Amino acid sequence: VAKTSLTSPPWPEVKLPDPVEEAKYHAAEVVRKVNGLISAGEYGRLFAVVHFASKQWKITSEDLIMIDNILEAECGDRIRMEKVLLVGADDFTLIGRPLLGKDLVRVEATVIEKTESWPKVNVHFWRRHNFQRKKIIANPQTVLRINSIEIYPCLS
Amino acid sequence: MVVLSAARWVRSRLSDRFWRVQEVLKNARHFRGRKNRCYKLAVRSVRRAFVRSTKARKEKKRFLRALWITRIEAASLEHGLKYPAFISNLLKSQVELNRKVLADLAIYEPKTFKSLAALAQRRRQEGFLAALGDGKEPEGIFSRIVHQHY
Repeated sequence: VAKTSLTSPPWPEVKLPDPVEEAKYHAAEVVRKVNGLISAGEYGRLFAVVHFASKQWKITSEDLIMIDNILEAECGDRIRMEKVLLVGADDFTLIGRPLLGKDLVRVEATVIEKTESWPKVNVHFWRRHNFQRKKIIANPQTVLRINSIEIYPCLS
Repeated sequence: MVVLSAARWVRSRLSDRFWRVQEVLKNARHFRGRKNRCYKLAVRSVRRAFVRSTKARKEKKRFLRALWITRIEAASLEHGLKYPAFISNLLKSQVELNRKVLADLAIYEPKTFKSLAALAQRRRQEGFLAALGDGKEPEGIFSRIVHQHY
């Protein structure tokens, strides 16, 4: 059959590696190496991407985070953040799909202060229509300090 | 102001005018020109400033999202991927990082961003392979392809 413009797809032909072999390589080499690095403790500072208070935060240890609402915890309470999306160090990253396991990462934080924000002024004004509304909003905020991020060598 | 009877209330005059004026002028102190000193001009400027800040609080969200998208596009082009391909393939591989965090990773964690780009590229190629199908001809009479040998 003659070759037309539609015989081969417009994207370049790419040979992907064999999935069985790739799974073997991944399990043997990559997982073993990363587990070894974790258990030997040869990572510097860890960073994590955490989903907390309906926002995603990129955090490290000794970090301050300001949440724009009230948390049901007193000042000084230790909190464990469970929805971890990504953990990384200098040599390796653990990407969760979408979350990482709770037995793999542990992110601890302490509630430091519970304040209100600065008084924000909401003004609505239509000229020539005698329409003016003024409202001052001071929404409650919580400040958390991230104490530590720990990972355990339980990859598979 | 405390006024203790109806007769006195009718005859009372404003005594805290200074503080009412200062309440408006304190929001105008950093303005330029006479509107940071003169009450009549300051009232209008302060009102417009507050209205603009309320509208800007809504637009800030749109602006920041566009900024993050521009930054992620630049970073993924450095790794040879376009932004729609990068984002769609990341979502198809069940990685649900939002644009704010992706932009931060692109700035501060270049190695992690490179690995995410490689993940998206690999998922893209697997998608192309799946789209090609088996390479066989379809079944049926009307969809049968007629081979002409010359």
